[in-house]
Parts: sequence; C-alpha cells; structure tokens
Amino acid sequence: MDKNAFLDELANILDESSVEDSANLRDYPSWDSLAVLSIVALADSKFGFTLTFPDVKGLTTVADLWAFFEKSRTK
Amino acid sequence: MKFHFTDKAITGMMVVVPEQERLFADDMRLFNAPENRSRKLAMVMGYWAHRVVEEGVCASDLAEYGFRKLFADGKLKPEEIDALVYVTISPDHFMPPTSCILHGKLGLRRDCFCLDVSQGCCGFVVGLLQAFQLLEQKGVRKVVVVNADVISRKVSPKDRNSYPLIGDAATIAIVENREGAGDVFADVRFDGTRAMALKIPAGGFRQPSSPETAIMTADHEGNERAPDNLVMDGTAVFNFVMADVPPMLADLAHDAGTDFAGIDKYYFHQPNKFMLQKLAEKLDVPYDKMPNNVVENYGNSSGATIPSAMALNDAEMLCRETKRVCFSGFGVGLTYGGIVMNCGGFDFCDTIYYPNKGE
Repeated sequence: MDKNAFLDELANILDESSVEDSANLRDYPSWDSLAVLSIVALADSKFGFTLTFPDVKGLTTVADLWAFFEKSRTK
Repeated sequence: MKFHFTDKAITGMMVVVPEQERLFADDMRLFNAPENRSRKLAMVMGYWAHRVVEEGVCASDLAEYGFRKLFADGKLKPEEIDALVYVTISPDHFMPPTSCILHGKLGLRRDCFCLDVSQGCCGFVVGLLQAFQLLEQKGVRKVVVVNADVISRKVSPKDRNSYPLIGDAATIAIVENREGAGDVFADVRFDGTRAMALKIPAGGFRQPSSPETAIMTADHEGNERAPDNLVMDGTAVFNFVMADVPPMLADLAHDAGTDFAGIDKYYFHQPNKFMLQKLAEKLDVPYDKMPNNVVENYGNSSGATIPSAMALNDAEMLCRETKRVCFSGFGVGLTYGGIVMNCGGFDFCDTIYYPNKGE
C-alpha cells in the first residue's frame, strides 16, 4: 500500500473526504477508540506490523503517522 | 501446554440465554459519544442485540434452568453425571464453589466430582480439556462442562467500549468417550505478564468493594465506569489476539497433521465481529467457516460463546454429521488455546430462553 492509498484509507476511517499531512490527528471529530483500532488493524493486515496504543499516543500529525508506518512496515 | 487424547466426543449441547434482549439502538443513548460514531462502531463490531439477565440473576440460575430442561426432556439423568466442571468468572460466591451449589440443587451423586474453573474467554477450551482428562479415569463415562457467566452485572451501561458487546449465557456440554471418535489435539498458552489487560479491579481480596469502588469516573472518551466494573484495554487485547493466536493455531494444526484448509469449521470465542474477521483473514480461512454472529445476536458471554456459536449456526448439522473442527478461545488471563478434533453426531443441540421474572 503506497502513501496515497494509505491516506485514502485513513480518510475513510475518520469519515473525511480527504486528510492533510499537516493536520493534527486529534483535531478530526471522528478520532476515537474505533478510529485507533481501525488504524491498528490496518497496520497489522496491510503493513505487517503491530501498532500499539502507546505508539499512537506519541504521534501527532497525519505525516507523523505515515512516517511511523513507513518505518515499521514489513510488507 | 500441549495435550493429546483419543476417542473423546461432545455428545450433546444446551445453550441457555436470557429472554431479556437489549438493542444497541437503546444502549447508544447512554453513551457520551456522537451518534454517527456509535452507529459506525455498531456496524464494524457487529452490535445489534444482546441478551442480559435481570437484576439478581446468577450464572448458576441459567445453568440450573438448562439442566432441569434436559432432565425433563429425558436427555440427561442426574444419576449418570460422573463429573461437573463449572467454568465461570462470575461465581455465585467466593465460597462455596458454585459447582457444589449446583450439585446440591440438581441432586447429583455423592461420587460425582465437582470442580470450579476460573476462566473467561478461553473457558470452553480449558473446560473441555479438563473433561477429557477426567474421562481418562476408569469408570468415568459422562462429564458435564458448564460455561456460565453474567458479565453484564459487572459492566457499566455507560461504557461504550464494553457494554454493547457483552451478553449473559450458560452452556452445558455433555462429554464422553466414544470409540472411533479419533484424535484430539490441543494447546493452551498463557501470558500472565499481561494478566491485567482484562480485569474487574475491585471486589476481590486485593481491593474489596466499598462505597468508593462504586464511584464512576469518565475516561478520556467519556466512558463512565467504577473500579467495581469490568475494564479492558481493547487495543492491547486486539494486538495480543492478532500476534499470538495465529502462530499457536498453526502449530496446533501441524501437530494434528493438517493445515488451516483441512479444517471444516472454526468455532472461536466471539469477542466481536471485527476481530473474528481479521483473524479469519490472517488464517486465510473463508468467513463462512468461522461464524462471527454471536455478538450481534446474543453478545459476548465469555466462555459460553463457542457453544453459542455452534448452536446458533450449526445445530442441525452437528446432530447429523461429523466435522473436523477447530475451537479457539483467547482473552482473560491472558489465556489462549485451541483444540482440533472431530465434532458432531450430537444427540441434541438445543437453545432455550431463561424467562424474565419481573416486569
């Protein structure tokens, strides 16, 4: 999955039409435990790594999240 | 620990669920969360209806109701029960064991062995293995495994993370030796370093219940719960299941001389639809081989979910045919385990409703 596909998936998870690199994840109204769980599941199924809740806590923007996915991915 | 048995069989199954049904649409009004997000949550997790007991009803009440029905129908006789394995995380009392209470109420023989097992989500697997071990003793012919829990009584209705997914139930599995039933392979593993990921903090000896432990506070998402209530770290549990369960099951399938494609049916613990779909994808098993609809129909009833999944989806098939099945439970403990065995040819596979007493 490339960056654009990832951003589409993230937008879908957050009920947005699109998401911006610079946006703070917690500013999206739909940022909640379901969103976090969906992102954790995406990491597991499409990127082959285990994303934990503490990992997510340390990330602020959409760009941070993508960078973490890029760094951790095994597939 | 790995287990191997031969010629063990489940020969009958009874599922008891409360008549009282709650709809997610009603629960939703109690949550401090936007409705559109609650609706999305319901869609993803498979929340629709769940069955919970009325105030004051204990898990053993559901179990007793099931036994009385079996006795009345002539499907089981009290005098033929050689052992009663009662698996629960919601015992009637700290003492005596709930199995002893049932022993008295049901009029079981003095030499009927009674055992309470404290297990949650993996409780059917652990209970079944206990029964198989008892059946290795000469003279033991019929062991009854009860999985009964009333977790709704320990979950805050204002906790969107847990309340909509839980349900109450009791299930009764009759377990016997059966010539030609074939090999049973099993594996159960534990990670006590993460024991507190699923817990009821107060109410035991470590932190006795008090007026203070009943005081609700809101978490960062507005879920309200007290130390007397069940709390789980949902993301950590999800990660645990995805990381640790598939390799354990791959080992188990290998031990059983098969692979995931060689198994007809996967009756797994039912935490929610989402987790089961992700597990099926990870094992590369089609969704229709792994039922995931117990949460939307009854709710997650801890150790009772595997028998519930069987009776809800395949009651007729399990009486008519024999299939190669894989059971797996994972959660509280943390405990995770699986069994691969032949399953079917049941004498009965019934579901009944425990009646409402009040309004």
